[in-house]
Amino acid sequence: MRLVRRLVVVAGLGLTAISLAGLPALAQKRGGTLVQITQPEPPTLGSYVSTANPVGQVASKIYDGLLEYDFDLKPLPSLAESWTVAEDGKTVTFKLRAGVKFHDGKPFTSADVQYTFMDVLKKVHPRGINTFAEVTAVETPDPQTAIFRLNRPAPYMMAALSGYESPILPKHVFSQGDIRTHQNANSPVGTGPFKFVEWRRGEFVRLDRNADYWKPGLPYLDRIVVRFIGDTGTRAAALEKGEAHIAGFGAVPYNDVKKLEKLPNIQIVTKGYEMLSPVVELMFNTKKAPFDNAKVRQAISYAIDRKFVIDNIWFGFGKPTNGPISSNFAPTGLYSADVTNYNVPDGVERANKLLDEAGFPRKADGIRFEITHDITPYGEEWRRFGEYTQQALAKIGIKANLRYEDVATWLKRIYTDYDYDVSSNHLFNLADPVLGVHRAFHSRFIRPGTVFVNGVRWSTPQTDELMDRATIEPDAKKRAALYAEVQKIVVDQAPLAWTHEISFATVLDKRYRDVIVSPLGLFSSFDRAWRE
Amino acid sequence: MTSSFWVRFLGNPRVLLGIIWLALVVIGALAAPLIAPLDPFAISGKPFVRPMDGFLFGTDSLGRSVWSGLVHGARTTLLIAIIATLAAVAFGGMLGALSGFYGGRIDNLLMRITEFFQTIPSFIFAILLVAVLSPSATSVVVAIATVSWPPIARIVRAEVMSLRSREFIQAAVTLGERDFVILFRQILPNALSPLIVTGSLLVATAILTESALSFLGLGAPNFMSWGFMIGAGRSFLRDAWWLVAIPGIAILLTVLSINLVGEGLNDALNPRLRTP
Repeated sequence: MRLVRRLVVVAGLGLTAISLAGLPALAQKRGGTLVQITQPEPPTLGSYVSTANPVGQVASKIYDGLLEYDFDLKPLPSLAESWTVAEDGKTVTFKLRAGVKFHDGKPFTSADVQYTFMDVLKKVHPRGINTFAEVTAVETPDPQTAIFRLNRPAPYMMAALSGYESPILPKHVFSQGDIRTHQNANSPVGTGPFKFVEWRRGEFVRLDRNADYWKPGLPYLDRIVVRFIGDTGTRAAALEKGEAHIAGFGAVPYNDVKKLEKLPNIQIVTKGYEMLSPVVELMFNTKKAPFDNAKVRQAISYAIDRKFVIDNIWFGFGKPTNGPISSNFAPTGLYSADVTNYNVPDGVERANKLLDEAGFPRKADGIRFEITHDITPYGEEWRRFGEYTQQALAKIGIKANLRYEDVATWLKRIYTDYDYDVSSNHLFNLADPVLGVHRAFHSRFIRPGTVFVNGVRWSTPQTDELMDRATIEPDAKKRAALYAEVQKIVVDQAPLAWTHEISFATVLDKRYRDVIVSPLGLFSSFDRAWRE
Repeated sequence: MTSSFWVRFLGNPRVLLGIIWLALVVIGALAAPLIAPLDPFAISGKPFVRPMDGFLFGTDSLGRSVWSGLVHGARTTLLIAIIATLAAVAFGGMLGALSGFYGGRIDNLLMRITEFFQTIPSFIFAILLVAVLSPSATSVVVAIATVSWPPIARIVRAEVMSLRSREFIQAAVTLGERDFVILFRQILPNALSPLIVTGSLLVATAILTESALSFLGLGAPNFMSWGFMIGAGRSFLRDAWWLVAIPGIAILLTVLSINLVGEGLNDALNPRLRTP
């Protein structure tokens, strides 16, 4: 008996050896479980009503979109096999893939597309309300065709059709009852590579392989477990030990990322955030003296040592910048570097000169004027950024007193009461400037009570018009030229001082391959991810 | 306070150690601008400089001097703790005295109010107060005082009640002395020793509360404090131990010293422990 067992073991080893030798080094393998750490636990899994970051990290595995995107932000087919945009930009026709089934076995048709866009995204999705504002109807001549009719051209819409931004929902499930409080929000049914199995609150969400996925042979993984671990140190330790395999979006603090990077089993990936592109900014209350004076705002922008901030507060995970549009848009031509450069070695001297010119000389105590700086209440690095800003302003004779409040109070102060001098924030550029950038300084977005919009209350008819033209301009070159002009003006006028682009870091276990394969990173479906 | 008090108080070696450390902290706090001229928030060197390498206690993640932080932090921490304690003693003492002196309905009402405050977990209550009032030096003082006064009220009430029935008080009443004269001239001076002991220990609790609030980021944002230093340094515990260890040891020694001194006071003031 013992001999037989040993023989079996030897034979097994032999077979393994043969199979290892016989296969190419990077052949994808079926099987395995990926443990993803998401922080904090999502409040819901309904990514069609909530754009909160953790929601997208889970729901993107369950729902597909009409399109996917490559790292240059170019659209690729997904549920839509092909698409055509009419000459006038006001009709977009999608040919939908045949034979796709939802997780409950019912087929996916153009009726689901019509329902998703007209009844859900246009009505309850926080960004969809704006993105699809021009869509007047979705026509469904046959089950495999969906024709979008638009009031005016909306080229930016084509960048917002991923499974994360615009998840395609099954009409037969969600059309019954109120979509805002639908019971299937937390037992989602989609067409994606992974099916929802279980959500144990406070612990994990379990997603299992969808054997009937429409991409042949995919997904490779058997299971994705999304774990929620409240303590920062425990999250880092779980990754270090290989108990968890992926975490991004600051779930691990930057200084711990630096430490994990040195381990042999871990790699740090900074790709996969190209469709988010957060840009850090100092916000000025431009309706209030002295910040109604552009020279004062320019001076402060000159005073911020971007390299110091990135190296010592964001631990190297950032890129200095001057303008509102992220350099991730360089491949699409929308990013322009032809703007005032505030990131200069003699920034402090220039700032002092500008303040003298603006009529704020240093008084006997060396102080020109006193302001209050509201710290962004998002955590340690923002606190340090506030403390750094205080010091940087002291160098140019501005005494800044720090104020620190909870998120709700701070948001109300900045975006409703406008009762502030200077604060800081970061806005996501998202998939297109129309979606992520206009809101910061277009007059249409001066909306008391709406957060993350034009809280600086600055606009000019000229920049408004340029942005309005860029919104509906179908020609990519002309559009880029319009945005180049916008960037030049706003960077010069500095209603906000854009300091740097944040690079988020994803901590990834090296045994897992092809995980971050799209600009949506953790917000993508992981259908091609596999374990060595 | 007779000479025998001082002999018993200072003759205790533990009290002496406590007093020496506290004296150092107080001198440091008073002389902060002289012995640490750098602004504790000023970026004055490279980040993460190790102790003794140009900076006595090194620098933090932004290059701020830890020595400056420690000395200026002592100012903030002591000032907030002492003011909050004085406020708590004044308020709690007043309430307890009225309650114990008049008894009856007033006592009932005031003690129910005291109990109401005592049933709320004090640190959670302090966090809530600071969050509602928005963090500043004043709101931290208010929060600490608000959660600290009930025990004082209880102690003073008990003392006043027991003194109230003594003959010398009865005599004063018979002589027609007015209530507040009796209370302030006769009763309170005799109730002072437990008040001093509790008050001194309360300073230690106040330092801990202030540090914990600052650690959580709810301290006064424009003042350096020990708890803030620990809070800001905690994510670097594995790479830069001194950011947490130095202010941590300062808190430990200070709180310990106050406790030693407080216990010494108790021993020296307690007539039952007097050796004949």
